[in-house]
Amino acid sequence: MAKLPLAGIRVADFSWVWAGPYCTLQLAHLGAEVIRIETKTRPCVTRMLPPWPDGVPGTLNRSGYFNQYNQGKKSLSLNFNHPEASEVAWRLIKSSDIVANNFSASVMDNMGFGYEAIRAVKPDVIMISLLGYGDTGPYREYLALGPTQVPNSGLSALTGYEGWPPMHAGFSYPDPNAGIHGAFAVMAALHHRNKTGEGQFIDMSQWECTMDLLAEGILDYTMNGREPRRIGNRDPQMSPHGIFKCLDLPEKIANVTIDQWVAIACADDEEWRRLARAIGRHDLADDARFATLAARKTNEDALEAIVTEWTSQRSVVDVVDALQAAGVAAGACADNKYLHDDPNLAARKYWVELDHPEVGVKRHCGIPWRMSATPCEVKTPAPLLGQHTDELMTGLLGYTAGEIEDLRKKGALD
Amino acid sequence: MAGALSDLKIVELGEMVSAPYCTKLFADLGADVVKIERTRVGDHSRTRGPFPNDEVHPDKSGLFLYLNTNKRGVTLDVATREGFGIFEELVADADVLVHNVTPPEMDRVGLNFDRLQRINPALIMTSIAPYGLSGPYRNYRSEDLTLWCAGGVCILNGGGPQHPELPPLKTFGHQAGYQGGVHAATATIAAVLARVGDEAGQHVEVSVQESIASQLEMTFEYWPYAKMIASRHGQKPVQPAEMMRCKDGYIYLCCIFEHHWRSFVEIMGNPAWADEEIFADGPKRAQNWDALKIFLEEWVGQQSVLDLYRKAQARRVPFAPVSTMADLLNSEHLQEREFFVEITQPVAGTHKYPGAPVKFSQTPSEIRMPAPTLGQHNAEIFGGRLGMTSERIEELTHKGVI
Repeated sequence: MAKLPLAGIRVADFSWVWAGPYCTLQLAHLGAEVIRIETKTRPCVTRMLPPWPDGVPGTLNRSGYFNQYNQGKKSLSLNFNHPEASEVAWRLIKSSDIVANNFSASVMDNMGFGYEAIRAVKPDVIMISLLGYGDTGPYREYLALGPTQVPNSGLSALTGYEGWPPMHAGFSYPDPNAGIHGAFAVMAALHHRNKTGEGQFIDMSQWECTMDLLAEGILDYTMNGREPRRIGNRDPQMSPHGIFKCLDLPEKIANVTIDQWVAIACADDEEWRRLARAIGRHDLADDARFATLAARKTNEDALEAIVTEWTSQRSVVDVVDALQAAGVAAGACADNKYLHDDPNLAARKYWVELDHPEVGVKRHCGIPWRMSATPCEVKTPAPLLGQHTDELMTGLLGYTAGEIEDLRKKGALD
Repeated sequence: MAGALSDLKIVELGEMVSAPYCTKLFADLGADVVKIERTRVGDHSRTRGPFPNDEVHPDKSGLFLYLNTNKRGVTLDVATREGFGIFEELVADADVLVHNVTPPEMDRVGLNFDRLQRINPALIMTSIAPYGLSGPYRNYRSEDLTLWCAGGVCILNGGGPQHPELPPLKTFGHQAGYQGGVHAATATIAAVLARVGDEAGQHVEVSVQESIASQLEMTFEYWPYAKMIASRHGQKPVQPAEMMRCKDGYIYLCCIFEHHWRSFVEIMGNPAWADEEIFADGPKRAQNWDALKIFLEEWVGQQSVLDLYRKAQARRVPFAPVSTMADLLNSEHLQEREFFVEITQPVAGTHKYPGAPVKFSQTPSEIRMPAPTLGQHNAEIFGGRLGMTSERIEELTHKGVI
C-alpha cells in the first residue's frame, strides 16, 4: 500500500483542550506521528470532562471527549517543574518536523520553547501557535476560550431569532475551526519546506479565523454601513427555509422527552410546488399567496404554519423520506443518537470502533474524507496518559533504562 | 516573495461556498486557480450579496467577491460535449481539480475520476459532496441549512431551558459550506504532499455531513459512552457563561473556573448577595441561575462593554464583547494586526474584507488580484493557455458553450 501523506512526519504536540488537538488529529489521520506532551500534574482539561462510561470519571483515561480528539496519537508524560523534563522535550523537538501548541501567548516562551529558541537548534522547524487573539497586537495576552470567540467574532450578533438578543452557535465552534485551518496551514508550510528547506512560524488568531466564516455580515457593514438584522432560520432568497417540529421520539430517554425537528429549504418556486404536492396541499401549489419568492416572504408566517401542521404529525424519518422522494431539500436536525443510527454514515463506514484498554469498544467519529491512493484509517485509540513514555524514551529519545528509572524517581515523568 | 503554494495549478468547478472556499485557501497562498462558472449566470454566489448600495449585480456580490480572490474566471458549459472537451483540456495540465458538482449531476455530465485520470495520471481530483459520493443519501437534495442540521450541530443551539418551544437555531451564514471547504483543503494539500516522489494523483472525496459531525465536541460521545442525548434544553454545568446586556451593547460573561467568578465578584465591588450559599460554586450558580441573573443584569446593565471587558481581562477573566460589525472594523487590535484587507475590484469598487486565517512568517498570504468578473479571463485562458483562435472563441461563445 502507498505511504500515507504524512508518513515520516513527527509532531511535538504541546496542545491541549480542543483547538490544538483537533489540528493534530488531522495530522495523525494523515499518517504523521503525533506525540502529545502531557503531565499528570495538570492533565488536559478534556481528560477530566464527561462523558464517561456509566457516568463514572474513574481514571484520566475514560473521557469520551478526550478519546474522540486524540485518536491515533501517542502520549509522553513530562513534568516541567523538573529541569530534566525540559531536556527530554528538547530531544523530542530536535527530532520533530512540527511543533504545535494552543497555550495562551507567552506560555511557550516562558517554558523556554518559544519559536526563536526552537529555531536556533532546529532551523527548518514549522511551529504553529493557535492563540485566542494571535501572537501580536495589544490584546495578545488576553484570555480566550472556545465559547468566548463565538460572540467576540461577530457570529453571535448575526445569529438569533428575529427581534431577539444575539445567540451562541451551540458549541465552541472557533476551536475546531482553528484546528482545521491550522492543519491546512501546517501542510502548506510543509509543502514550502519540501521545495526550499525553509521552516516557519504560523501565528493563528482564533478570533480572526472565525471572522473568515462571516464575510457576508462584515461586508454588509463595509459596503453599506449596516449591521445585519438577525433573521433566525430564514433566508432572504429561499422560502420556506426553516426548522420544523416533528413528533417527539416515542420513548423517553433518561426520563426526558426527546424533541425532533426537520430542516426544509426550497431554493425556488418549483421546489416549493414540489413541497406543496408532497404534503398533500395541491391547492397551494398555485395559490397566489405563495406563488413567488416575494409572495412567500410576505406570507412566511402563514407558510411556516402550514408546513408545521404537516411535519408535526409525523416522525422526522417519515418527513425526510417523503420530501426527498419528492425532490425537496429536507434533512433531520440530527442529535447524537440520530447520528449514531444514521444509515448513511454507517454505509460509508465513517465510524471508528477500536478496543480501548479502559473503556472498551466505543463508537467514535472518524475521518471525513476518503483518499483513493493513500487510504487513511485510525489505527489506534486515544492514548492513556503517559502510555508511550517508556517506548519513546528508550527508542526515539535514546535514554537508558537506568536514566529513565532515575527520571521517574525524581518525578520528571509525572 | 512567492507564496507557499505558488507552484500549484488548480482548476475549480465550484458553486457557492464549499469548493470556492477550498480553492481560495490555495489561491491566497499563491496557487494559480482557474475558476469555471456556468455560462451567462455564473456562480450562484453572484446573486447572494451583500451588494454595495443594495444594487444587485453579478460582479458586485460580496459573498462572491470574498470567496474568489486571486482566481481567474472563465465561463464554460461542461454539460455540452464540446464544453466537456475544453474542460478536459484545462484539467490535462492541472495539479488539482476541486469541484462540488452534486453526485446526480456528476452522473449526468459524466464527471468522474477514472475518465480524468486517463487524461492526467498525476491529477488530484477533490470531490466535495453533501453526504459523500456513496451511501443511501448520495442523491439527496440539500442546502446549507439542511447540512448544518445533518451534521448534528444545529440541534445544540436555540431557545434553551426557558424556551423549549423555539426551534433549533441555525448559525449565521453558510457554515456547512465553509467546513466542507476547509476540510477539503486539508485533505487536498495532503494529497499534494503524498504525490511528491511518485507522481501519482488520486481521488479525494469529502463529505460535508461528516466534516460537521467531526466537530461535535463531547456531544456525540454522550450516546456511545452514557446513553444520553445531548440537548440545548439542559441547564449549563456552570454559570455564568451567558451573554448579557450592558448599557451600550452585550458582553459574554465567562466564569468557567471558580477563580474567574471570584475575580468577577471583586470587579462588581463584592456585593453582599454574592456571599449567598445558593451562589457558592459553579454548579450551584447554574442551578440558581434565574435568581443570579436578576442580580447580574442589574449591575452589568450599568456597565459599558469595553470597560467591563478590559477590567475582566486585566484580572485574567476571559470575558468577551458580543462584537458588532462596527466593533470588529474599529478594533485597535485587529487594526494593528492588519487583519482586514482592502480590495479594489473595478466594478464593485474598494471595500474592506476579512483577511487571512493565519499569518505565515515566511510565506505570507497576499491578495494579487480581486475576484473575476463573469468570464473575465475567457480570452486569456482559452486563447492563451489552450491556444484557441479568436474565431473559435467567438464561435463557442455564439453557441453558448463559453
